[in-house]
Amino acid sequence: MIPLRQIKISLITAPEFNLEYLWWLSILFIVLAVLYFIGIFLIRNRITSNSGRTKDKKIEFSPMISEFLFYEDSNSKEEKMNYLNLKIQIRELIKDNFDRSVLTEVLLDLRKDLSGQSQTVLIELYKDLGLHNDAFEKLASRKWQIISSGILELTSMEVKESYGLIIKFINHRQGTVRKQAEIAVVNLKEEGIGYFLDNTKYKISEWQQLKFLDVLRHKPNFEPPSFGLWLTSTNSHVVLFSLRLIKYYRQSDAEQSIITLLKHKNRDIQSEAIDCIKEFFFVRALPTLKMVYGKASTDIKIAILDAIGEIGSKSDVEFLERLKKKEKNFNIRSKVLGTLNKLNPESILPTKNISDSDYFSSEVENNEDVYEAHESIESEIAAETTEIIPQNVIEIEKDLVVEEANELIIDEQVVNLIADEHLKHNGKELNEVDRKVDSEINEEIISIEQNVNVDLISEIDLNFLPKVENDVVEEEEAISANFKIIVEEERALTFDFLPLIISNPSIEEVITNDEDDDFFPMFSLDEDLDIEHKEIENQVDSIQKNVIELIDWANVSDNDSNQDAEIAKEPLISFENDTVTFFANFMEQGELDTMVLLENIAEMGDCRELPMLQELLTINTSPLILDRTNELIQKFSYQSPRPNELFSSKNDLAESVFTEVYNHSDKETKLMLLKEIKLVGDKKEIKLLETIINTETKTLAKSAKSVLKHIKSKIALTNAELINTVDNNHPLFDVNFEFGLSEASKRMMKSNEDGSTIFDQLCSMSNTLYNKING
Amino acid sequence: MGKRVLLADDDQLLASLLNFRLKKGGYDVHHSSNGKEVKEYLKTEMPDIIVSDIMMPYFSGIELIDFVRNELKSNTPIIIISSAGNEQNVLSAFELGANDFITKPVSPTELLVRVAREINKI
Repeated sequence: MIPLRQIKISLITAPEFNLEYLWWLSILFIVLAVLYFIGIFLIRNRITSNSGRTKDKKIEFSPMISEFLFYEDSNSKEEKMNYLNLKIQIRELIKDNFDRSVLTEVLLDLRKDLSGQSQTVLIELYKDLGLHNDAFEKLASRKWQIISSGILELTSMEVKESYGLIIKFINHRQGTVRKQAEIAVVNLKEEGIGYFLDNTKYKISEWQQLKFLDVLRHKPNFEPPSFGLWLTSTNSHVVLFSLRLIKYYRQSDAEQSIITLLKHKNRDIQSEAIDCIKEFFFVRALPTLKMVYGKASTDIKIAILDAIGEIGSKSDVEFLERLKKKEKNFNIRSKVLGTLNKLNPESILPTKNISDSDYFSSEVENNEDVYEAHESIESEIAAETTEIIPQNVIEIEKDLVVEEANELIIDEQVVNLIADEHLKHNGKELNEVDRKVDSEINEEIISIEQNVNVDLISEIDLNFLPKVENDVVEEEEAISANFKIIVEEERALTFDFLPLIISNPSIEEVITNDEDDDFFPMFSLDEDLDIEHKEIENQVDSIQKNVIELIDWANVSDNDSNQDAEIAKEPLISFENDTVTFFANFMEQGELDTMVLLENIAEMGDCRELPMLQELLTINTSPLILDRTNELIQKFSYQSPRPNELFSSKNDLAESVFTEVYNHSDKETKLMLLKEIKLVGDKKEIKLLETIINTETKTLAKSAKSVLKHIKSKIALTNAELINTVDNNHPLFDVNFEFGLSEASKRMMKSNEDGSTIFDQLCSMSNTLYNKING
Repeated sequence: MGKRVLLADDDQLLASLLNFRLKKGGYDVHHSSNGKEVKEYLKTEMPDIIVSDIMMPYFSGIELIDFVRNELKSNTPIIIISSAGNEQNVLSAFELGANDFITKPVSPTELLVRVAREINKI
């Protein structure tokens, strides 16, 4: 068998090639390369020579052109002659094609750089020299680039005669020619834009539209046609461009067409139509806008909403409200909300990241509690003052009447009329009475507030108030069964009105509001109603009297005090239904003064206040004062420890700093700590080390023993040094030795003297060499 | 002898045209086609007014203003001609001390009026 290594398998087998062909191929490529380079060289030379010739010709032409451009009839005879000669000369020159093309090029260049009169003269010169005929010939060319350059030339030189020739290129299959022709048509004649919009079949690009606008904008005395005429074009690009032109030239004569275009399938046209509607405030488009909305794209929907916001009214709010519920898209929804607020300002309020009112309720309640506490104090004072009671009842009665009026409006119209009239008459009377009563109440309140006992204030709580109300209600129920409306109202009443009893402005406000009610002027009371009203009035008066007579004010106050006692046991803060309620807790004046004194002592006092604090302990019984006094006594009794005490065995400072760390460490850390103790430790660590030796494992105990031994020896050494220092109390300059040279130093010095140093040897060597060289 | 005008413009055709018009207007015009020539000319001679294109080889119109105002410390009026009449160019030119700014296309008659106005200010 043949071993595998000896078997040769050729994966790629190169084809056999005749070397002669290789030579021929090489020669061929060399020839081609040479031809290529010769071609480049010739073309380059031609271009260079052409540009050189062109440059020379331009230099030759430029003074001629300048002469033509700035020629004035007022010139001298010589100048006129010169001008004529130049004209003849230039006409001779342009007989040559190259010269003509150069001259055309020069004129086209200058056309871009010049303005004003010079430009006009330049264009005239171009035409005068008949250079536009070359451009006409270009239009007949088969090459699109030549046609395009011809159109451009004719457009730049404003050759209006070319208009008829150029319009046929409007629908040219070649884009560049077509666009050039479009611009030329619009540029050359005023009616060009109309012709273009009528005849163009191709797309009008955005850039092209901008160019058209630019051309039209710069056209002097351009009177735009009614672009609404092209809204019916079958070319949607024409429709779109027409809409833009309508908007630009503010032509609002195609309202219905624009509204119809809202239904166009092309989104751009829809969008442009919406813009026009918004621009021209076509309110008639609103129903179509709403109709189109459903099947519109997001952008169009937003545009429609924007338009509704601009031209809509509050009647469109309903449509928007429906959209608000229906729309899921964030952008559209935001726009809907914005539009809603635009049509109906502040109808939609911010909701995002707005905390619930419950979040702030605790603070509000707290503030309200403070306010109500004040009100309740005043109410309490009023209740305790017999003189004020009748007025209070009157106030209650009045409020009942006010509430009654409101209830009557809802229930029955006839009763409503009576109550209203009753209010109308009674309101004024009551108002006068109230003013007097309130002034008396206020005076009383002020006087009582000054004299009122602090104990009473601390016991007052708002919760007593409903009791009074209930009593009043019960009393009234017993008094008048006939006056059902009032009784029903009273049952529903809360004592929110109580602040009104004291507060003058609030009472007036309630009555004024009733007088100013919107429904009031609608009723005209006849005589029967007047009589009925008087009867009711009498009934109210009798009720007032009965109420005053029947209410047991003594019981009311008793009940209040009992209830206060109960409330006092209640916590100051209660948590109910996720709300925090604070109850007022007032301190006696004496207690308050003592507490203030204690706080002053706490802030500024020291141990010298201890006797006074002890005295306060004996004379006061209030647990709050006793607690605070004891606290202060404890505070001032504390004395900072002496330095000796700090380092006594009882104090933490006497303990090793390593102790705590050691107790919380693992074995490895403990070993490391022991090493550290060995390095930096002193006698404070002895106790710790002894503990370790007694309690820890063998390894640790062994290490601790060695550390302890080391520390002890270190302490002993330190002590010895200290003793030596104390014993050897020698004078500073009393030295017991003399300076002298050692043996080694003496030997070194001796060898140096003999010249045996390396430096000496080097020197001697150089000297030897020098001597040898010099013979 | 008329007032000396330095016309700095690399566009031969326009320069020739403006040169012709200025000369016709009675000015003694020196034309430089690039910034280097302008600099060399200004080292030897200071014209009564400089009319310069903003875009020139070697040395732009803005650099020319800076050179005249800050290196030569000259108050010679400078009128800048530019096809790029953007705000930044105009502001830069005026900040550096140009006296006037004309955008292309230029009306030679207008230039003549502006040159006369600037020279009369001196």
